[in-house]
Amino acid sequence: MELSSLTAVEIVQGIQSRVFTCKDVVKACLKTIYEKESSLHAMLFVADEGALKRADEIDAAAQAGQDLGPLMGVPVIVKDNICTKDMPTTCASRILENWTPPYDATVVKSLLNAGAVILGKANCDEFAMGGSTENSAFGPTMNPWDVSRVPGGSSGGSAAAVAAGYAPISLGSDTGGSIRQPASFCGIYGMKPTYGQVSRYGLVAFASSLDQIGPFARTAEDMKLALSVICGFDCHDSTSEKRPAPQFTFNDAPLAGKKIGILSRLVAGKLSADLQSCMDVQIEKCRQNGAEIVEVALPKALEYGLACYYILAPAEASSNLARYDGVRYGMAYKDAHSLLELYVKTRAAGFGPEVKRRILTGTYVLSSGFYDAYYLTAQKVRKVIKQEFASAFEQVDAILLPTSPTPAFKIGAMSSPLEMYMADVFTIPINLAGLPGISYNAGFNDEGLPLGMQLIGPRWSDAEILDMAAYLGKETEGRIAEGGIR
Amino acid sequence: MALEFTTVIGLEIHIQLNTKTKIFCNCSTDYIGATPNSHVCPVCTGQPGALPVLNKKVVEFGVRGGMALHCKINKLTRFDRKNYFYADLPKAYQITEYYVPIAEHGYLTITGDDGQPHRIGITRLHLEEDAGKLVHGAADGRIVGSVQSFVDYNRGGVPLAEVVSEPDIKSPREAKEYVSAMRQLVRYLGISDGDMEKGSMRVDANISQKVSDGRWGNRVEVKNMNSLKALERALEYETLRQRDLLTRGETIVQETRNWDDADGITTPSRSKEESNDYRYFPEPDLPPLLLDDEYIEHIRATMPELPDAKRERFQKEYGLSQEDILVLTETPETAAYYESVVKAGGNPVRSSNWVRTDVMRVLREQGKEIAEAPVAPEVLAKLIQLVDDKKISTTAAKDVFEKLVPGELTLEQAIQECGVQIGAVAGDKLNEIIKKIAADNGDVVEIIKSGQDKKDKKMKFLMGLVMKESRGQAKPDEVLKALNEFLSKN
Repeated sequence: MELSSLTAVEIVQGIQSRVFTCKDVVKACLKTIYEKESSLHAMLFVADEGALKRADEIDAAAQAGQDLGPLMGVPVIVKDNICTKDMPTTCASRILENWTPPYDATVVKSLLNAGAVILGKANCDEFAMGGSTENSAFGPTMNPWDVSRVPGGSSGGSAAAVAAGYAPISLGSDTGGSIRQPASFCGIYGMKPTYGQVSRYGLVAFASSLDQIGPFARTAEDMKLALSVICGFDCHDSTSEKRPAPQFTFNDAPLAGKKIGILSRLVAGKLSADLQSCMDVQIEKCRQNGAEIVEVALPKALEYGLACYYILAPAEASSNLARYDGVRYGMAYKDAHSLLELYVKTRAAGFGPEVKRRILTGTYVLSSGFYDAYYLTAQKVRKVIKQEFASAFEQVDAILLPTSPTPAFKIGAMSSPLEMYMADVFTIPINLAGLPGISYNAGFNDEGLPLGMQLIGPRWSDAEILDMAAYLGKETEGRIAEGGIR
Repeated sequence: MALEFTTVIGLEIHIQLNTKTKIFCNCSTDYIGATPNSHVCPVCTGQPGALPVLNKKVVEFGVRGGMALHCKINKLTRFDRKNYFYADLPKAYQITEYYVPIAEHGYLTITGDDGQPHRIGITRLHLEEDAGKLVHGAADGRIVGSVQSFVDYNRGGVPLAEVVSEPDIKSPREAKEYVSAMRQLVRYLGISDGDMEKGSMRVDANISQKVSDGRWGNRVEVKNMNSLKALERALEYETLRQRDLLTRGETIVQETRNWDDADGITTPSRSKEESNDYRYFPEPDLPPLLLDDEYIEHIRATMPELPDAKRERFQKEYGLSQEDILVLTETPETAAYYESVVKAGGNPVRSSNWVRTDVMRVLREQGKEIAEAPVAPEVLAKLIQLVDDKKISTTAAKDVFEKLVPGELTLEQAIQECGVQIGAVAGDKLNEIIKKIAADNGDVVEIIKSGQDKKDKKMKFLMGLVMKESRGQAKPDEVLKALNEFLSKN
């Protein structure tokens, strides 16, 4: 039995019934990491020593018959933009290189309280800005199904790590598709919960009104486990909703009698052939399982979502990233003779090109004289998009569409930022509307690349869409990516 | 023809609200004298990933302030980000209510230069966070010549209410009056200590001149005034400076100037005139704030009596002079002390005299607050009653009061210690005193005897001397009787 390929559910059972120890599991996972990391570069920090120490504690508790929680002994990998006080949190940026936060993010606390072992920090696009993990200041992550391809982004490291068997569960963050798209590229589940469902406290902000933490896992059961641990109200996050945490349960026939919305006309011509046929198969599968298929219209979401997002997200980012000034933490230009020089030299050297591009865009759209034309207009469009989704969800229980128009593309294939932005067209509107969305694996193309589909539900339907995705994704779930790793 | 000028002043006052914790985190606001950066956390130092959570008390204080200033309270308000770079601003943005302040369109009434009540319009009151403090490395603590600077974030995140006035203030004196009234108001409300010296109330002034020939001088912002006196002096200086320039046909540079208290002048601010674009936008980390009617009504119902209302009531209920009322209502504590004395049976007018003179003098001498007044209001009331009932004289009462000040004796003990029971000096003792006084004032005695003391003036004079000599322990009617007897016999 390969311990590193076990699911979280199996690990908890195995440790609690003392079939193996947490240390065995952690060692196996570390071994997998060491074997594959030179090919994948999914990690920015591996907490080998700390994880082994933590495993000892868990084993001692297991010996004593203690139950440390639903994730007892489960190795978890956390995206490097989520604060961990025992590990650096760099956001894959030079400007935060070697920075270790003075506190744990709420989700990290929740994981630890549930008995998890944090194995390390996953690579990502710098400050979560990107869709391929190529924007990491510390080098890209490769797709474990084909190392010549990207794992998606920005949570590419988290997705690749779980797909490659580094750990059964990882956390990512999703501002415009940053969990769902890499999940689809890596053939696993990845969910962006409803905005307000998971605390953002300790998630280094990119675009505060859009950011949401969510889990990756190879199986739906593990998704359920992870979500049940991280969802819930947090008094440290004013945008987290004071409502009971969702109850995640799986039904035998979650699609029966449900109305599933599709956007066949709107997505037509935007998809690669493999995804087009994948979508057709999935629609048919829904129908066969008792769902009624309804064509819905989200014209504004798909037409204006991207433009709206690329105004609002950079606007918020320009403000959120202003704090990296070399005064308190992170990189600081040492020979500055004035405050201005400190700012300019630190930020010029510390940020990568994509981050700078977005800061500039955001600064521009917020400047006086342009605010109304850009920011305010975008806010209005956002309202319209929300309304459009709300109307759609009066007709249907969920919407099914591909997560990304294509499977994982080659590293370096995207020639311009705009081309890269276009790849997010199906995921971005969901963030704008604050909805939950989940990507599940719906098969593989001829080249063996995973094909991901996305289910979107109304706000707070997280448990329902996971239930449906679990049913639709069951056939191909749980595989460890072995393709192309030398 | 000589030019005439009208001064136009608008003030912006930053008032530190005295909540126990900061506006967006649980750090203590009690930072004065604390070790630098000891009252900080991830939130108020702007650590990546940290998020603000609004302190409800700050909202309450804001609503109270707004109500006291007769403002419209905005039920739906929200915070915005004001973006700019500075080392004392940890997030590189200040969270403030830019687009929709919690309160707006109010007024504060002051006594104008003409002696009449004058309403100063309040444009807005909005809530925001304070910044940290920079400490520069030069020997004199100034930025000039220092090679390094330090930041202390203890003050960062302390709640502020910024109150912006309309340009309704017509003179430096009125500006002082306005700030003084504002300070009194926040103290009455208990939302700030309003201390300008400590920086818990910071005033920036916008001042310009309108000239009788139709010209308008540019507006100048004056900062760095750390007391009421400094505010008045700075504005007086600035008025003269601007009028002088305008008289000579020059233009006023629109700029920010700093008040130099030592030299008594304003100088152009060293910082470049900011053409800052603050790129305000709604703070996405804080949902809009919705105040329901019940909440607003609750606050309205629990508003303390404010200075104007109290003064009016004092006049109606106690019939005091305006001057008495102003002194007694200076702070809510003084007013409360006074009212306790009256409530315990002290005559309103005499209680006022006692509080204004004796009680306040002792407090001044001892450097104490009225809350620590050495003589409890009930005791003072009893003392006043004893005088009214002619049990002891006013002079004796003053002695008794002094005995009470150390706070060790009861009223009875103090009276005993002074030996000042009225009537203790009578009979032979009284006659002895009269004899002595008559001997010392032979000329007066002669006048009375000769019938020239038409209005009993001389008689009263003698009586006073006798009372004084008896240290108030003789009964006045007995003194009069004995004095008459003595004069008729001798």
